[in-house]
Amino acid sequence: MSEQVDLTTIPISPDGDRGENESSTAAADIDSKLVTVFHDKDNFNVKHPLQNKWTLWFTKPSSGKGDNWNDLLKEVITFNSVEEFWGIYNNIAPVSELALKSDYHLFKEGVRPEWEDQQNKHGGKWSYSFKEKRNIDINDIWLHTMLAAIGETLEEDNDGEVMGVVVNVRKAFFRVGVWTRTIGKSIPNRGDGDVAGGKGRPAEKGKQILENIGKRFKEILKLPATEYVEFSGHTDAAHSGSTRAKAKFTV
Amino acid sequence: KAVEPPQPSAALQSLKTARLLRPEQLLSLSYPAGINGMSSPNPALNAAVSKKGTSFKYDPNFLLQFKTVFTEQPSMEFHQQVKTLIGDNDGGR
Repeated sequence: MSEQVDLTTIPISPDGDRGENESSTAAADIDSKLVTVFHDKDNFNVKHPLQNKWTLWFTKPSSGKGDNWNDLLKEVITFNSVEEFWGIYNNIAPVSELALKSDYHLFKEGVRPEWEDQQNKHGGKWSYSFKEKRNIDINDIWLHTMLAAIGETLEEDNDGEVMGVVVNVRKAFFRVGVWTRTIGKSIPNRGDGDVAGGKGRPAEKGKQILENIGKRFKEILKLPATEYVEFSGHTDAAHSGSTRAKAKFTV
Repeated sequence: KAVEPPQPSAALQSLKTARLLRPEQLLSLSYPAGINGMSSPNPALNAAVSKKGTSFKYDPNFLLQFKTVFTEQPSMEFHQQVKTLIGDNDGGR
């Protein structure tokens, strides 16, 4: 540093207006370099991160000729920003335009939307079937379900339960669901800590967490108090040979 | 005849090159007029962001503001890819 700094450029008075202005201008300068999609939708340089990476899956309708489920379940795309989510949402068919027997699944990256997946097999799901298909806006319901998942508002920070969300298009109903890691019990090899499936989480607390998720889900579905969302374990459904297994909890 | 390879849109190029906001940037960012940023309208939800520094919770109303703003397909191949995976939504084949 051989050059002498012009002292008049340095704010020296902590009580003067000038010092404050200088510092707020400097802060604004840093901010102005962060251009979001709201500032310039074509030329932005920052995007909004999601807490988790999410993968969108699609189940194709069966041709009725003994298709393998594995051939029908398709991984579409994985994303980790709010902007990408909307790019995807705005460029795929809404639920109302899907063929019967189609599903969309939005799951955390690395979890297949199948109950056999290691991370799902001890878990279950909250679900609700809308039987009056014409009277509901399934696109809006599914969108809000996905927003609650990616926005992480279905559960609290350390709950660790939500694995994914799903919508099924069937002849007699639309069904929307939230899959959870546990059914409120500890899981082998999940450790001693207070995590989903850990031995350190009392069963009562595990159940409470699941019920809170169910209540939030019910709000998203805008169901009247006279309707109930039901929780069932995946293996209960598998063993009964039906998705109409007896509900474990309801809210 | 020679076909010009399609070029990614400016919005798609921005999506590919944009950096993910850090929590402190997210909270201090000033949005254009009419956009509700993370410091409002639901500070209770967003307290988690500042608390842990790694937790991102977004109110649905915050997220909905992007709906008409980012409408580009997320990759050049997306439409073709979706068509291959999903089909034409014509009620099955």
